Amino acid sequence: MVQIDRLTFQYKKEKHLFSFPNIDLKERENLLIIGKSGIGKTTFLHLLAGLLTPISGKIVIGGVDIHSISHSELDKFRGQNIGLVFQKKHAIQSLNVVENLQARLFLSKKSISNTKIDFLLEQLDISDCKNSKLNTLSEGQLQRLGIVMAVIHNPQVILADEPTSSLDDESCTIVIELLIKQAKLTNANLIVITHDHRIKSLFSNSITL
Amino acid sequence: MNIWKISLKNIKSKPLYTFSSIFILALSIALLLGIRQLETSFKYQMQNNLGKIDLVIGAKGSPLQLVLASVLHMDNPTGNILYEDAKKIGKSPFIKTAVPISYGDNYKGYKIVGSTANFATLYDAKLEKGSAIKKPMEVILGSTVAEQLQLKIGDTFLSSHGLLENDIDIHSEHLTIVGIYQPTNKTIDRLIVTSLESIWDVHEEAEHEKDENHLGHHENHEKGKEITSLLVSFRSPSAFLTLPRKINKDTNMQAVLPKYELEKLYRYTGVGFKTISWIAYMILIISCITIFVSLYKMVKERAFDLALLRTYGASNFQLTRMIAYEGLIIGLLAFLLGLLLSKAGLYFMLRIMETEYQQNTLQKLPLQEFLQIVLLVVVMVTFSILLAIYPIMKMNISTTLSNEK
Repeated sequence: MVQIDRLTFQYKKEKHLFSFPNIDLKERENLLIIGKSGIGKTTFLHLLAGLLTPISGKIVIGGVDIHSISHSELDKFRGQNIGLVFQKKHAIQSLNVVENLQARLFLSKKSISNTKIDFLLEQLDISDCKNSKLNTLSEGQLQRLGIVMAVIHNPQVILADEPTSSLDDESCTIVIELLIKQAKLTNANLIVITHDHRIKSLFSNSITL
Repeated sequence: MNIWKISLKNIKSKPLYTFSSIFILALSIALLLGIRQLETSFKYQMQNNLGKIDLVIGAKGSPLQLVLASVLHMDNPTGNILYEDAKKIGKSPFIKTAVPISYGDNYKGYKIVGSTANFATLYDAKLEKGSAIKKPMEVILGSTVAEQLQLKIGDTFLSSHGLLENDIDIHSEHLTIVGIYQPTNKTIDRLIVTSLESIWDVHEEAEHEKDENHLGHHENHEKGKEITSLLVSFRSPSAFLTLPRKINKDTNMQAVLPKYELEKLYRYTGVGFKTISWIAYMILIISCITIFVSLYKMVKERAFDLALLRTYGASNFQLTRMIAYEGLIIGLLAFLLGLLLSKAGLYFMLRIMETEYQQNTLQKLPLQEFLQIVLLVVVMVTFSILLAIYPIMKMNISTTLSNEK
C-alpha cells in the first residue's frame, strides 16, 4: 500500500521544482510510470525509496510516513520494506550469488533462510549459478539475480528503475512478467519507472510524468 | 553472513591490492622491529661486556682503543705498562678488585689472555668442567672457543704470536687445556684464559732466543714484567671522579672509564641505526598511504556497491565498519608478516655476522619498545582508514545510484 500526496522536490543549487502526481496504490496493485529522460523519474523513485528528502508532501508505505521517521529508522525501514531493481548493476561485485542474498537478508535484519534462497533461485532459473561470481554471469542471469535481490526479504514495495532499457524485446517481456509474478507472490506493490513503451501493455495501471 | 565476512570477501576479491598493501606495511614493520632489536642487542652487548669493569688502566694512547682492546677484545692494545706500576695503583683504597691482563698471542684467531683468577669473576664465569689454572702453560677456554674449535680438557696446542691467526710466527711451547667455562654471553666466551706467567714465559722464551746474553730474569720474577692493562672495579662511586684524573695526571699510564667510551662509540654508530630507523619510518608512511589509497579506491570504485548496501538496509556505521575491518585485517596480517620477516631477517643476518665477529647474542626487544612500534603502526593504519572512510560519510546514495554504468 503506497500513498503519495502533493510531493515536491528541489535539488540543492537548482531552481527547477519537481512536483509529482498523487498516487494511491492498494494491496498488490502495480504501477508503471512513464516519462522522458530528465523529467525526474529516478528522482521520484529515490523519493519513494527514502533516498531523497522531499521539500513538501507525504509518502506513506504500509502506513508509515517514511519522511517523518529518523535516518536510522529509515535505513532500517528501507532495508526491510523496499526492494530496488536497477538497470545494470544488481548486486555486490565481491560476493557470489548466494553470498549476495545472504548479505541482503543480514543487512535488512531478516533471518537468513537457505530454503527460501534456493527456492527463489530455482524459480528464476539461476540455481546453477548459486556459487558463481557475478562477473561470470550473463546479462540475463544478472537481471534475474537483481529480481531475487529485490524480493528475497518480502518487501512491501518493489521499485524498478529502467529494468528493461538494456534488454531485447523478448527478455524485456520475460523480466517484467517475472517482476509482476514475484510481486504477486510476496504481496508487494510493484512500481516500475521507464521510458520504454514496449512494456506498457503489461501493466493495467500507468501514469505519465 | 556478517560485516566481517563481507570485509573478508572484499579483500579476497582484489588480491593484488591486498597483497601489495600487506607486503609494504609488513616490510616497514619488519625494518622497524629489526633495527630496534639490533640496536637493543648492540647496546646490551656493549654494557654486558663491561662485566664489573669500572675502569681500565693501560698505556697512553687512544682511550677508545684501550677499551676496545682490553674490554671488548676487539682491537690491538695501546701498548704495555709495567706490572709494578699497576700493582701500586691496585692498592688504592678506592679499588675493590684490580685484575691485570696481558696479551699478545692467539690460537686460530681466538685471543689468549693472561690474567689472574679474578678475571673470571669480572664476568661471573664459572667452570663448566675441569679445574682452575695451577701452573704456567695451562689454559681455560671460553665456551664459544671450546665449541667452535672442538677442543676438550687435556688437549694441547701451540699459540701463534700476535692477535691474528698466522702460521709463520708460532711459539714453541705447548699450552694445555685444564678447564672450560660455562657460557656467559659475554666476551669471555670468546677468549682463552691463562695465567700471566704463561704469557711472560712464552715471550721470554722468544726474547731469550733473540738475546742470548739476557741474564738473571728468573731471579726477580715480577721485576720489569709488563702487562697490557689493569681492569679495575671500584669500591665506591666517588672513585669515578677522583681516581681516573689522578692516574692520568700523576703517572705515564692512562685511566679510562669504559662505560663512557662505549657510550661515545655508541653515539657514533647510533647514526647508522637512526638512518635505518628513519628509512623504516618513511616506508611506514608510504605503506599507510598505500593502504589509504587502496581503501579509498575501493570506496570510490565500489561507490555503487556501497550505495546498494545502503539500499539493503546497511547503516553508514555498518559500511564504515566494513572498510575499517578491511584496514584492520590488512594491518594485522602485515604485522604478523612483519614480525616473521624481522625474525627471519635477523636470524640470517646473525648467521653471517656470527662467523665474522664470533659474537652472537641477540637480545629480545623490550616489551615497551615493542608496544611503541605496535602503537605507532596502529595509529598510522587507523589514520589511513579514517581518511578512506571519509567519502562514505559524504556519500549521496541517490546521486551514486543515478550514475549507474
